[in-house]
Amino acid sequence: MAAGASDAEARIVVARRFSAQARGERITKLDVSDGRSLSMRLFLGGRKATLTGTHWSDEEIRSGVTSALEQARYIGVDAIAGLPDSCALPDLDLDLYDTAVEKRTDEARLEDARCLERSIRASDPRIDNSNGSNYQDACVTMALANSRGLLGSYRGTQLAISTSPVASEGAYKRTAHYGNASRFLSRLDAPERVAREAVRRTVVFCGATKPPTQSTAILFDREVAAAVLDDLFAACNAANVAVGNSWLADRIGERIGSELLDIVDDGTIPGALGSSPFDAEGVPSQRTTVFERGVLRSFLFDTYYARRLGARSTGNASGGGVGPNTFFLAPGKRTPEELIAATTRGILVLETIGFATEHASGLYSRGARGIAIRDGELAESIEEFTIAAPFPEILAGIDAVANDLIFDGSMASPSFRVAEMQVSGSPSAP
Amino acid sequence: MRLQEGAIHEAGLSENLGAGVRVVVGESAGYAYTEELSEERLLEAAARAAAIARLTAEGSSHADRLEPLERSRDALYDRTRTENAAPAHLAALLERAEIAARAGDARIVGVNAHVVDELQELWIARSDGSFRFDRRPMVTLGVQCIARTGQERGTGYCADGGRTSIAFFESTTPEELARESARIAVVNLEARPAPAGEFETLLGAGGGGVLLHEAVGHGLEGDFNRRGVSLYSGRIGERVASDSVTIYDDGDIPEERGSASFDDEGTPCGHTVLVERGILRGYMHDELNARLMGMRSTGNGRRQSFRHLPQPRMCNTYMPPGNANLDEMIASIDRGIYAKSFAGGQVDIGKGDFVFMIAEGYLIERGRLGAAVKNATIVGNGPDAMTKVTAVGNDARLARRHYTCGKGGQYVPVGVGMPSLKISAMSLGGTDSARG
Repeated sequence: MAAGASDAEARIVVARRFSAQARGERITKLDVSDGRSLSMRLFLGGRKATLTGTHWSDEEIRSGVTSALEQARYIGVDAIAGLPDSCALPDLDLDLYDTAVEKRTDEARLEDARCLERSIRASDPRIDNSNGSNYQDACVTMALANSRGLLGSYRGTQLAISTSPVASEGAYKRTAHYGNASRFLSRLDAPERVAREAVRRTVVFCGATKPPTQSTAILFDREVAAAVLDDLFAACNAANVAVGNSWLADRIGERIGSELLDIVDDGTIPGALGSSPFDAEGVPSQRTTVFERGVLRSFLFDTYYARRLGARSTGNASGGGVGPNTFFLAPGKRTPEELIAATTRGILVLETIGFATEHASGLYSRGARGIAIRDGELAESIEEFTIAAPFPEILAGIDAVANDLIFDGSMASPSFRVAEMQVSGSPSAP
Repeated sequence: MRLQEGAIHEAGLSENLGAGVRVVVGESAGYAYTEELSEERLLEAAARAAAIARLTAEGSSHADRLEPLERSRDALYDRTRTENAAPAHLAALLERAEIAARAGDARIVGVNAHVVDELQELWIARSDGSFRFDRRPMVTLGVQCIARTGQERGTGYCADGGRTSIAFFESTTPEELARESARIAVVNLEARPAPAGEFETLLGAGGGGVLLHEAVGHGLEGDFNRRGVSLYSGRIGERVASDSVTIYDDGDIPEERGSASFDDEGTPCGHTVLVERGILRGYMHDELNARLMGMRSTGNGRRQSFRHLPQPRMCNTYMPPGNANLDEMIASIDRGIYAKSFAGGQVDIGKGDFVFMIAEGYLIERGRLGAAVKNATIVGNGPDAMTKVTAVGNDARLARRHYTCGKGGQYVPVGVGMPSLKISAMSLGGTDSARG
């Protein structure tokens, strides 16, 4: 403020991270670091400049702020740029910190990575190699202060294990990557279980074939279903909506999806990885209904884009943009197995590759791998095909949602089925 | 600096300073970094990395020797610049881009532009006593346009830059990039749904190099091959592509994004022959994987920052020209797809299956370019596609410089390049089954 800013905000994240990789008998990588990051937003009469980096001494901060404000002079004046109106922080215990994480011994951490590695090799004779097994944890403290008197902090823990088994099939190496994450040591899946699932997802593709081009039902497995939601989030992101870069722009109140489409963004789920008491600019976290029985109810906002679009912030400010808390599809009642049994003809998609090229047109097209479904039974494994449909048709075509929702990240979804999508593979039989 | 809807919306300044210490024993690496450059903190990081390395490398008794460094090559870019461009200059470039983007077509409803000027200074000290310093510049100017008619939307993106100064945009102007971005947005607005199925495919010169990067390049990185998890593992000397396919990786092309005086371990970046006339010739290596395979580092040890461990990474990956003429290649296709440019891609190393996303594409019907098709994904298998190359164009060029590659959570700038390439069959992930 001494440098001439009319408003300012500082955010500090301090994290102690432990990351290890095991491969074969050995620990092959180990990285232990205390990371600190400072990010500041400076407002100068409707102009905004940001400063990020490793400035820690008073002198470094002063010189950084001066340079950042120098840049701000070239910014267009935007009357709505500024801090949130309210500076009241909620007194909310969301159960985000597990002291058992900071108390873990290095040996126990390394043992998880070694155990993953042993288990993948023991669980199936076809697994003859690996890309490595990983263990990571972090104890993170976030502190936020602004020139209107807001001051708050919270801390959280995160743990993640993952593995990537390899099965040789001639010159080809079959591989899959699978893992689990949690805020609590006691809720993290056992390494043996993660290893078994990773192996299952690897060997299932031995002997996979390319399916014919066809139009068929697509059952998205839980993890790829969450990736579909990730693309949908981009269209619900007010920063994209405001500049016309969203196929959902101007469509609030319209029926977009099927009756089964209930999507919520929630920052207040106790113990969830996506939860926090307040967002990156100090707006209290909340639960926002985005789709209700297929009808688009709300976009997701930070303070700036809420002012732009005449709405209220939904507590979705993330460092430098609009981000999800836990963005999820409400679960149904049936198990994924029951959904397979209820599918006469279709494909269970286990992996997708590729990413959205744009959110303006709402076209979805991805490379995929999965298992053909015939008469309610899993049949041959298939790969090297694409699945595609316009996003509105995907959402309107959701005709079954499973009950396997787990809050293991910012995007969470149960498995769901879309009645019909275009599959591109080998030339169809005449 | 970022422009949105007619005004400079945001300016950001980021300064990061730190040091990382890596201790290598056998195939294990211990790593620790600090953002405070006091002697005490540096020694602490070193002690931690060493302790970690001892912990990880049970059974190995001695640290391995480093290969001696060769002389660093002549500068590939200006290493003397120490000041970032003036904010006023950056703002003016963005405003020029905005005006040019909107000037061409009333259907352009949104323009986002950003410009980045970056200077990276790095010091590398190694246990063999060698010490290296480099100062690497990087500029990027990107323009995204959104075209709209009713509920139909199309997006275009165009960016360029490289390891140079902001003066680069005097020859490659903001107007040129903006007009190209607006043109692509309107093409995509008018595009029809892409067909689904297998098609003869013509890949565009320049940006088509994303294919080489994904379909072949990643599979030739040393770590995957040392571990034996790539489908190219143990296959040096074998035929992996049709006769007409040659692929290089160069880290010494002036001003390219993937170029450097030396890699992030101090090894000079050079010219690596990956595939020569269809025969696999070599992998891309950092020190660790080269040593474990009894080979030499090719200068491909790269890292995102002092917070990250080096990995074998591509620099600038490209294919030299062949003999075919673009018009003749189009004329030779009865029914196919011309994928002129790409938005990015992804690969599975073990099986070689890859995808890439078309940013601008057209149908080819009876030897003529037809309607534009909306953004779709092409899926294929790397080795399979490389044996199906039926013609290589005489129009080889490096793509506009804006590609960034992600691997193991680290992002590094890369370059790609290719001539137009005809491939006999690839699967196009469109939605229009009637045409498939």
